[in-house]
Amino acid sequence: MRKLSFIIGAVIFAVFLPTFADMYLIHVASSIMIFMCLALSWDMMLRTGQLSFGTAGFFGLGAYAAIIAVDDFSVSPVMSIFIGAIFAALIALGLGVAVLRLREMYFAITTLALTSVFMVLARNLSNLTGGAAGKILFHAIFDGDPKKIYWLILSFAIVVIALSEVFERTRIKYAISSIRNDELVAKSCGINIFKYLLFVFIITSAIQGAAGAIYAQQYAFVEPESTFSSNFLLLPVAMALVGGIYSTPGPIVGAIVLGFASEYLKLLMPYGHLIIYGIIIILTIIFLRKGVYGTILDKVRSK
Amino acid sequence: MKKIMNLYILFFLMLFLVALFRPYAFFYGLQRGSLYSLVALPLALILGIVGLLNLAHGDLLTLGLYLGYILFNQLRFDPIFSVIVIAPILFIIGFVVYKLTIERVLKSHHLNLLLITFGVSITLVEFINLLWTSRPRNVYVPYATKSINIFGINVGAYEFLYIAASIGVLLLIVFILKKTRFGQAAFAVGQNPKGAAIVGINVKLVYTITFSLATAMIAIAASLMIPRVSIFPHLGGPFTMRSFCLTAMAGLGNLPGIVLSGITLGLAEAIVQSIPGYSGWSDLVFFGVLILVIALKGYRRAVR
Amino acid sequence: MKKLLVFLSLIFVLSAFAQKPIKIGAILPLSDITGRQAANAMKLAVKEINDAGGILGRPVELIIVDDEMKPEKGAAAVDKLATVDKVDFFVGGMSSGVHLAQIPILKKYKKITVWIGAASYKCEEAIGADADWYFHLHPWDYLQGESYAIGWKAIVERYPQVKIEKIFLAYEEGAFGTASFKSYLDEFELAKQGTGVWAGLMKDLKGAPFKSAALGGGDYRAMLLQAKQYDPDLFIWAGYDADAVPMLTQAKEIGFAPKLFVGAPPGWPADFGKNPLSHGVVLYGMWAPALKDVSPIARHFWDAYIKEFNEEPATYFAPLGYTNIYFLVEAIKKAGTLEDKAIIKALREIEYESPVGGILKISPSRIIKNQGFRAQKILQWQNGTQHVIWPFEYATAQLIYPFPGWSGR
Repeated sequence: MRKLSFIIGAVIFAVFLPTFADMYLIHVASSIMIFMCLALSWDMMLRTGQLSFGTAGFFGLGAYAAIIAVDDFSVSPVMSIFIGAIFAALIALGLGVAVLRLREMYFAITTLALTSVFMVLARNLSNLTGGAAGKILFHAIFDGDPKKIYWLILSFAIVVIALSEVFERTRIKYAISSIRNDELVAKSCGINIFKYLLFVFIITSAIQGAAGAIYAQQYAFVEPESTFSSNFLLLPVAMALVGGIYSTPGPIVGAIVLGFASEYLKLLMPYGHLIIYGIIIILTIIFLRKGVYGTILDKVRSK
Repeated sequence: MKKIMNLYILFFLMLFLVALFRPYAFFYGLQRGSLYSLVALPLALILGIVGLLNLAHGDLLTLGLYLGYILFNQLRFDPIFSVIVIAPILFIIGFVVYKLTIERVLKSHHLNLLLITFGVSITLVEFINLLWTSRPRNVYVPYATKSINIFGINVGAYEFLYIAASIGVLLLIVFILKKTRFGQAAFAVGQNPKGAAIVGINVKLVYTITFSLATAMIAIAASLMIPRVSIFPHLGGPFTMRSFCLTAMAGLGNLPGIVLSGITLGLAEAIVQSIPGYSGWSDLVFFGVLILVIALKGYRRAVR
Repeated sequence: MKKLLVFLSLIFVLSAFAQKPIKIGAILPLSDITGRQAANAMKLAVKEINDAGGILGRPVELIIVDDEMKPEKGAAAVDKLATVDKVDFFVGGMSSGVHLAQIPILKKYKKITVWIGAASYKCEEAIGADADWYFHLHPWDYLQGESYAIGWKAIVERYPQVKIEKIFLAYEEGAFGTASFKSYLDEFELAKQGTGVWAGLMKDLKGAPFKSAALGGGDYRAMLLQAKQYDPDLFIWAGYDADAVPMLTQAKEIGFAPKLFVGAPPGWPADFGKNPLSHGVVLYGMWAPALKDVSPIARHFWDAYIKEFNEEPATYFAPLGYTNIYFLVEAIKKAGTLEDKAIIKALREIEYESPVGGILKISPSRIIKNQGFRAQKILQWQNGTQHVIWPFEYATAQLIYPFPGWSGR
């Protein structure tokens, strides 16, 4: 009961944040939520035991699909987010059939390599993608109204959080965690591993694609180097691990902690603030092994 | 065994064909590929024995390069010989990094190991940036730009050292693993840490020494690269990535495979770069070959 | 005497601070040498202005935010400066990728913005023709290409032995290099029809991309071989500072020594002049330290910067950052008010003698109305120093032609 009222309180706070916060906080909160969704989607894949390094790749695919849809096919910006998600999902469907048979680091490296492949394609197919210079839209989504953008990203984040919870609470969870813990046992229990893996891969890629599409519409541009930047892989992974993996609240907590830390550290310390950021990551891992959320949970339970 | 022989025959056939049709690409690919594998071998050693993917690998290489730059700039130390100073320093740095960070999280989730090396990587890069700024540094020695004539083709002589060094480091690692007591212990730990502990091997010590030793080996690549590259804080990232690629392509525990993969990818890159108008696609070929090999291997495993 | 001075300046500062300061917000990549030195130069300019009594009787306050070279961080920085610090003006800039993300946010506030970075033509498209509050000081990529043509024409006239008919452009495969190549291609099409700035000069053009060492590349040999085969009169590479020495090393290795070896990176590596390979390399740039010998304002900036920060300005972003503040402040002075309209009018009218070398005056470019610098300079490394070759009024040395080749280095 207390948990439920906390969640309702948090949602109400998040929804009404733009009415009292300044533009800066709204902007920072918006980008943190984008990274939070990436972190959650990465964690959802990880719950099946598959370590994906393709977050930035599908993020970029969604971003490009959305910008091209608006620029070349005059789709409305809001619709283009769905197009970004669907495009990423379709590519994930096609590739998943081939790469999901790989395990552990072979899967990780293949997804990482695919990101580079997407980037090279974006850079070289210049008729479609604008080449190395990228593509711009003259108007950002909602004409750049930061509050509307914030609410858009917030609703997207709520959908992602809900999806993650559905994965945690339904039959999918049992299938997924049994795959992670022992594939042979899962197989012998009659779970069609491949079907589940593919399903999770498609859903998480769609989330990443939608995140990319929103990011691209918010800033009204795509460019190979910025859009496929490894930041969209490394930061979400760090967020999920710092917060605590295999759960919904973990990546959320991690995104909030690291997101605000990186933004406000640089105001305190203009030069070399990333050193402190690195040290925060190291210390969290050493002293809070299960992540911030996992450790809090343990403390609460042991009381 | 026969299968491995076939693979080698195929590999040398490929080398021969490239040499015949694209001689420049052959030499350039061979040299670059050897450099990639020279950097990748220590990473693979750590991954094979400690089970740790070190995301700070390339940044330790950057640090080694800066050490060589200082030695040259302040003491006129010849870059190639600076390895005798850089290697011990990197050994100590590796030791300290291992004791301070990695050892403390060995028992927790294996992804925590990955993340902690990511933390080390950020800290190291930003520290270097603060000390030396983002401006590249260079070391110039005339002998690094000499070229020789092979079958009527003019190629740079210096980078052939990469080929010798990568084979040398490979032999060194194999020798240590097979012929020394430490190496045999390390091999056992790599295969089965729990079993090794039961038979009385000090697993903790093996991990510490392996990590420090592999870090020291980076000095070989660093000292050779000093007169050929621009030294700047973010140099290391792409090398970590490539090393990771080679290790995955070769497969875990396959050290000679890393040299073969390195050369294969180096050649693939060089061939594409040598075709006018298509050099922008060389990355695609690099990653394409990588994905293809991994997927084929994975497929074979699934079929079996 | 000294005590009196301290006392006087204290009173001055106190009285100045009694007034509400005029706030300028700067966004720069502080972890990069360009951004760090531009930030320093801006601080220096603000200090000088405040020591001289500020503007309109009010002190100037400079607030600098790091963009970390990340688009979303650079965009959030605009919101921070506008709503938290409530600045009156935006200045700064470096990377085009970051600026693209900032443009929608800047458009929202429409505060007067004087930008010194972002050369990509995509940024100009994104800004659009209506933004009269936007002033762009750095030459756009296509303007740079045009100005070199003007420069080479002048050089060919003065040095009749110089020939520039076949041009080979090596460009890094990212946004910066490809944009350079694109503008050369456009100009070449015009030149073939006998129009455009390169007409009568460029007879043939060839290009090849390479992967910059700054982005994990650094092997130029395939590209250099193509260039060697083509045997150009002018070889030019558009890449980054990290490419400079390895490219020369590899050019020496394969024996490629064109008559003009030109580099166009935004900055050069540390101690490049001390490298024996640097002698005779021509470069495109906005500024050279040697300008201090021909321009009093460049000399003043050079000395003041070293005195303040104990290091030499290493990239043109240092004098450009200094220019950024002074140009804006001079306009405010002229306007005599903080009203946007008056300041925009003043910015368009004033002429500012810049330490970058040359008079800064606003004129329209292809799309926007308020473009600052249009011309780059043609410089040459000679015995360890960057010398100005063109424009001739700032020349500090004669052109060494042809490129001396590699023997003996």
